[in-house]
Amino acid sequence: MSTVSNQPPLLTPQLMHQLERLELVTRKVFRGRMKGERRSKRQGQSVEFADYRNYVPGDDLRFIDWNLYARLDKLFLKLFLEEEDLHFYALIDNSLSMEFGAPTKLRYAQQLAAALGFIGLVKADRIRIETLGPGSHAASPIFRGRASQWRMLDYLQNIEPAGATSLVDGVKRFCIRNSGKGIVVLISDLLDKQGYEAALRCLLAQQLDIYVVHLLCDEELNPDVRGDLKLVDCEDDDVAEVTVSAPLLKRYQRTLQAFTGGAREFCARRGITYVLADNQTPVETLVAKYLRRRGLVR
Amino acid sequence: MGDFLHNTLSAGPWVLLALIPPAVVLLYFLKLKRVPLEVPSTYLWQKSIEDLHVNSIWQRLRKNLLLFLQLLLLLLIMLSLLRPGWRSTAGTKDRSIFLVDNSASMSAIDVQPTRLAEAKRRIRELIDNMGSGDKAMIIAFADGAQVVQEFTDNRRRLRERLDAIEPTDENTSLDEALKLAAGLANPGRVAFDERDIQVADAQPADLYLFTDGKFPTVANFSLGNLTPIYVPIGDPEVGNVGITAFSTRRHESKAGMLQAYAQLENNNSRDAKVTAEFYIDGELANAEQVTLAAGERQGLVFPFDSAGAARLRLELSPRDPLRVDDVAYAVVNDPRRGRVLLVTPGNSALELALATARAKELAEVETVIPAYLETETYRIAAAEGHYDLVIFDQCAAGDALPRANTLSIGRVPSSAWGDAQAVPKVANPQIIDTNRAHPIMQLVDLDTIDIAEGAILSPPAGATLLIESGAGPLAAIAPRDGFEDAVFGFEIFGKDDAGETYVNTNWPLRSSFPTFVFNMLQYLAGPADSVAGGSVRPGEPVRFRSVTGVASVDVDGPGGSRHEVKRNQQHEFQFSQTDHVGIYEIREGKNVTQRFAVNLFDSSESDIAPNPEAALQIGYVEVEGRSGWEFVRRELWKFLLLLALFVLAIEWYIYNRRIYI
Repeated sequence: MSTVSNQPPLLTPQLMHQLERLELVTRKVFRGRMKGERRSKRQGQSVEFADYRNYVPGDDLRFIDWNLYARLDKLFLKLFLEEEDLHFYALIDNSLSMEFGAPTKLRYAQQLAAALGFIGLVKADRIRIETLGPGSHAASPIFRGRASQWRMLDYLQNIEPAGATSLVDGVKRFCIRNSGKGIVVLISDLLDKQGYEAALRCLLAQQLDIYVVHLLCDEELNPDVRGDLKLVDCEDDDVAEVTVSAPLLKRYQRTLQAFTGGAREFCARRGITYVLADNQTPVETLVAKYLRRRGLVR
Repeated sequence: MGDFLHNTLSAGPWVLLALIPPAVVLLYFLKLKRVPLEVPSTYLWQKSIEDLHVNSIWQRLRKNLLLFLQLLLLLLIMLSLLRPGWRSTAGTKDRSIFLVDNSASMSAIDVQPTRLAEAKRRIRELIDNMGSGDKAMIIAFADGAQVVQEFTDNRRRLRERLDAIEPTDENTSLDEALKLAAGLANPGRVAFDERDIQVADAQPADLYLFTDGKFPTVANFSLGNLTPIYVPIGDPEVGNVGITAFSTRRHESKAGMLQAYAQLENNNSRDAKVTAEFYIDGELANAEQVTLAAGERQGLVFPFDSAGAARLRLELSPRDPLRVDDVAYAVVNDPRRGRVLLVTPGNSALELALATARAKELAEVETVIPAYLETETYRIAAAEGHYDLVIFDQCAAGDALPRANTLSIGRVPSSAWGDAQAVPKVANPQIIDTNRAHPIMQLVDLDTIDIAEGAILSPPAGATLLIESGAGPLAAIAPRDGFEDAVFGFEIFGKDDAGETYVNTNWPLRSSFPTFVFNMLQYLAGPADSVAGGSVRPGEPVRFRSVTGVASVDVDGPGGSRHEVKRNQQHEFQFSQTDHVGIYEIREGKNVTQRFAVNLFDSSESDIAPNPEAALQIGYVEVEGRSGWEFVRRELWKFLLLLALFVLAIEWYIYNRRIYI
């Protein structure tokens, strides 16, 4: 926030206000690290009753069900569900290709990550923002609690495009760094010549609740190009010579459909939630409508 | 092809122009520097291109669409610089009338294949150039005129009907055709009160006249709203030698011999040497070589011996452009003598006159007394028309006149001539006039004859007076149902009250009497109105009587045509299908009884050279000949330039929108 002052804030107060009412949901129940607001597999201290068990010496006397003892003359211990925090990872693709579009896909990814992170922070979840790029800056510290929102936003603002980044390498690094379970939202354009499949498989192995936000900009969805062009790939400087024609554009659209369709099917088969987003959809709409429908937020 | 293209540029500009297409191609290849554009990823593009590379030739063509359009534009511009176009006739009016001459002279072959075909070709040219909605009418004319096709804008129909026009052997007359053509253009007028108005809107039309111009000047015709265009057909230099007459007659000095007389006419502008071949019944009988000076006519005589009927043909060689007048036909019919019945109690003068050798050649005479009239034999013979002539001398014809010509001497034959008892008689009538124009009275001089007593006749309506006296008609002839009754009011030999024979006139002593008898036999007893070796022109009707008294006859024309002809009320046969020259044979039953010939014999038709400088005279208007059309060049360059503009617009659009097919 302080470094890039000329950019509008990632989250407006109105958006924050809107997001306060939402919470992150996971279809799986994970064990958290700290006490939080989420039901955990662990039994512990909460108001939510779980079970009884026989008293063994050494147990905390505070949890003995005295009413039951009065009736049965036996000591039972009341067990409560533990409420713990949720691990939420936002994995942002910060390759050069994300620098396209207006707003840039990267900016859009930052906004989305900020919105989702904010929701998590409000609900006392454990938030971590990561980028696919190499280096120590790739992973943020863990944010927890509403008070961390400014730090989180600051971190997000400072994410820079990091040159040619391999999707699979970035995901591998992420997996090595984070062994914990939780929700991971991968925000990427998936435009990697080596394919996105290996990267998603890596994530799957982590037993994470995976969401893929496939973010494409307008230039990719409806390219407005004319004439004889030498298309240069911004990441690997690969060149494609094209003479734009109606059949070529039609063919491109078909390829694009096949690409997104393939990704959707790949995800659907593996229990990954896939959301195709373009940078023209406002972030609040995406969060409040599409992701809500997909079950990421409630 | 030279006509199709008109080069408008000289060599220099063409070289410059020819350099442009290679320059365009060169620029096109130079231009192929692609604009670099940074994209997020070429991943999707590469995949798309890979698919398109499969049909790369077509893709390359598509890529070069602009180049092709530019080259097409240049090609169109070059083509329009060559000014392509074709010759076409100047626009006709929206109504045209085509008058086609199909007379004999149009069969001349000085223009290949024939003049008529040439005329048809030119008309077809005009029909082809008709705009849509233009109407045309076709009239064929020769001796008469015939509307071949009414006004129509159906060009296919016009062409069909045009092709159906056949040549005829008739001569030419324009009057009727002009009247037909003028019907619509010059509507009649109807008088109302003090003004007169047209009965219909005048519809002006172009009158195209396709003819060789050999016809009499048309007088008393106003063209009115017709614009005449005279198109002379034929080679003005062409010449023709034709037969303008061919007939037979008895040899002047040798009895039993006939001679054929022919007249040749040379319409060449130079001398012509022809051979005339004379055929009798298809066999060459005589030939003569004749040299005719330019414009000269010359007669030829071929004496020949003939016993019975013969078919004569005269042919000229070498053949010239007009074939139809190079052959002439004549016939010699069976020498058939007239049958004459003389009913007389005794008339030595008449009998003597009928017994002359000359009279015997013409007729066989049967002499009977008046009592014969009462017999059944006579009645049947009279009713059947056995006799050609019945002469009633000193007797009345009786109740029914025979089906024959009659000559009544001293009596009236029927009540049509007045009451027989009340015929006023005058003594010594003075002959004041004889009708020399009538064939019976030709060369008959009655100035010096005296008549003791004569009856003044009151001939029926339609009669022709033959002899007139101071008191009234003495002799007359009147028609009756196809026959004729001649009546002489004075006897030659009379009988007085005592029954003594007296001489009533001194006419038998005069030389005019045998002349009269001869005339009478020829006129009344001759094969009546028979064509007897005569010749008619094509298209003219022929009238004849049967020899055997049948009700219908067959007429065989040249070329195997056969027509059945029925007898009309005048006991005559009338035949009008004389369209072609040649010999026509009349069959009664199976036998050929008579023949007649149809020949052109028209020196104006034989003079086939059209004269384009000489204008046609129609009414008071002189119509100049027009040897060709006013040709206009219809050019394409405007359309080509428009097309080029269109191509340019497409090229611009594609370039700007980058929309490829």
